[in-house]
Amino acid sequence: MQATLRPMTIAGRPIPTLPEVGAWIGNEVRTTPRGLKRWYALLGVLLGVGGVAALISIPPGWEVMGTKPVFEWGLLIVAYVFFAIITSGLCLSASLGTVFGFERFLPFEKRHAILALISLVTAFLVIALELHYPIRMVFGALLTPAPTSPMWWMGVFYGTYLVVLIIEVWTLFTDHPTIHKYACTACAIVAVFAPTTLGLVFGVLTAKPFWYGVFTPIQMVCTALTAGLALLGIVFWAIDRFKLADHATAKPVAMPSIRLLMAIALAIVSALLIRQMVDALFSPTVGMREAAISLISGPLALQFWGARVVVGLVIPAMLLAMPMTRTPLGLLGTSTAMLVGVFADRLNLVEAGQIYPRTTLAGAVSYPYASYAPSLVEIGILVFALAFFAAAYTLAERYLPMGESDSHVFWPWPWIKHHDHAEPGDDDHDHEAGHDDGQSDPGVANAGADGADLLKRLAELTGTEGVQR
Amino acid sequence: MIEQQTAAVEAAPADAILIPLDELAPAITAASVSRRAFIGFGLALAGGIVGAGALAQYFPVFASAGDEVSPIVPSYNPATKAWTFVVDTSACIGCGLCVVACKEENHVPEPAEFTRTWIERHVTTTDGSLYIDSPEDGINGFPKDSTAPGAAGKPVVSAYFQPRLCMQCAEPPCVGVCPVSATYKTEDGVVLVDARRCIGCGYCVTSCPYGARYLTPAGEDTPAGTPGVADKCTWCYHRINKGQKPACVEICPVKARQFGDANDPADPIAGIVKATNPAPFHTEWGTKPRVLYLGPALEEA
Repeated sequence: MQATLRPMTIAGRPIPTLPEVGAWIGNEVRTTPRGLKRWYALLGVLLGVGGVAALISIPPGWEVMGTKPVFEWGLLIVAYVFFAIITSGLCLSASLGTVFGFERFLPFEKRHAILALISLVTAFLVIALELHYPIRMVFGALLTPAPTSPMWWMGVFYGTYLVVLIIEVWTLFTDHPTIHKYACTACAIVAVFAPTTLGLVFGVLTAKPFWYGVFTPIQMVCTALTAGLALLGIVFWAIDRFKLADHATAKPVAMPSIRLLMAIALAIVSALLIRQMVDALFSPTVGMREAAISLISGPLALQFWGARVVVGLVIPAMLLAMPMTRTPLGLLGTSTAMLVGVFADRLNLVEAGQIYPRTTLAGAVSYPYASYAPSLVEIGILVFALAFFAAAYTLAERYLPMGESDSHVFWPWPWIKHHDHAEPGDDDHDHEAGHDDGQSDPGVANAGADGADLLKRLAELTGTEGVQR
Repeated sequence: MIEQQTAAVEAAPADAILIPLDELAPAITAASVSRRAFIGFGLALAGGIVGAGALAQYFPVFASAGDEVSPIVPSYNPATKAWTFVVDTSACIGCGLCVVACKEENHVPEPAEFTRTWIERHVTTTDGSLYIDSPEDGINGFPKDSTAPGAAGKPVVSAYFQPRLCMQCAEPPCVGVCPVSATYKTEDGVVLVDARRCIGCGYCVTSCPYGARYLTPAGEDTPAGTPGVADKCTWCYHRINKGQKPACVEICPVKARQFGDANDPADPIAGIVKATNPAPFHTEWGTKPRVLYLGPALEEA
């Protein structure tokens, strides 16, 4: 019996042979523009340098980080929080289009989703390098769950987030509109819960008065939105600058929308920052006032006034307000400044929370403040994370079809029928699948007793006459 | 698409029920694929559950008497114990022997930033300022003048030594925040860490208001041979469950540290507590600390 040689397939598509892959890569290298090659080279160097730092940090217990018992959480916790809240912020801003039906936010849904997925993977990468035993964490969280721990809940929500985001991205690039609707709604819900629990990780610690309280999770969610919007601003600039997919709508639709949201977000985070500082300055609790003073006139003053206030709030507000900077380049400036501000904000939170211990910590007496300087390894891992994020997104933008998706959600709850958009009894139907009112009328007429009852009840509830035909 | 076809089949009149098989083929294929996917998902789920069960056999869920490194021994009944730790700050001379004994007994790493117990010197000067210092955790004793910045040369009004250790809180924040339940409270109220389950996140270290925890560095002196995990004072649990006293109590030359079982009529600790009325400090932090203090430390708090 003679065996016939058949190409192996995945989901019906043949797996390319090695020579085919080689030829494809060769062709890609030839056709890649020079500017992009330079960008790849830069990212490659940064990934290499950062990768060395990441490898150095892997054996547990090595004293390669700048952290110590008195200052246990440092730059990597900040980086993790930064990327984790970017994910949530992207989903929160994306949900305006996908869940709440503001159509002007729809065209860039794919970019939202891809960026959110990449930033979450980056966040997980950073926290895996920060933790001494990340694999134990996976088993430990499953086998000995700790529902009293906000960190455990954070793991639950961000773990769920990863799964839901993968489903959302997968359904966005394949044809599964119903699953996509559920995934988008789930994403929007998790996008609120995940940063809330992340905020609670800090907010439940009575040992750290500057972190303690209900405003910490609220601030985390609002900062998340700011971070997500800032990142989208940079991406919209790139779409316009490099004429990427859907660039025609970037300037007239996406940019004004994002500027509006940015202005709102800036107002909210400014108000929350003022509340936080005033509250801390006038608090009788040991550690609160000292933390606030360390930010205002102490060792953290430069990163507070310079990075957080001027770069993170004042400059973006001015760039948004001035007519001459209402351009794509102005948007890039606004977004970059806001993103720097968000990073500084999270850095300030983590540092100010630990800078004035309530007591001696493991024998260390801190006068007047505890000090922390990130080690080269920590900075290297941050560089690695940023380069990984940029590289993954560049590749996605180049090789995935980023144009507007057909599977828009608009009416996100598939179990609720909208008479203008879906025919009764038609579960797996997207509202844009091509039927108009003329087609939906017979559907309503044929809906049977249940459908008619439902419409009647809807008419009673809403007081609309036209529903009952 | 598939539903449209299915709807078309259902809506067709009875005389047109015979539909060519090739028209139905996509619907049939889709149905079988989804069934296959369903079975695959079920198998994966079952495999995951079985796999997790098998892993649980090898992954220590809680420290038990059978474990070599577990401080819990079968001959010990924690339910009968009411361990009581009293620290007398008016007696302590700051010699640092307790820190030496603890480091030796518990394989605590040498650098001062890793310690289970330490001694502070609280100095009040004539201008009313309070200076606290703890050079090298007090392991070598204390120089004559306070090493706290700004204290040198100022006339001293009063001074005392304050030995510190884990308070074994009745409501320990470190236990509540641990995401993998690696730190736990035993039946007799002592808070322990299972070094084989700790992931080294440092959450418990930041959660402790008394600063009693640290993450171990790499090196020979690590609990259960695992570097990078949380460690803290256990009141020498491996000693007290054999009827011995903690190393720091045993070595203290002036009996500034007293330890015993208040449930044991033969143990003097219950009498000491009754006679001197010691109390925990910083109870306003809400963790219900269980180390009782006597002397000026209590007055200052």
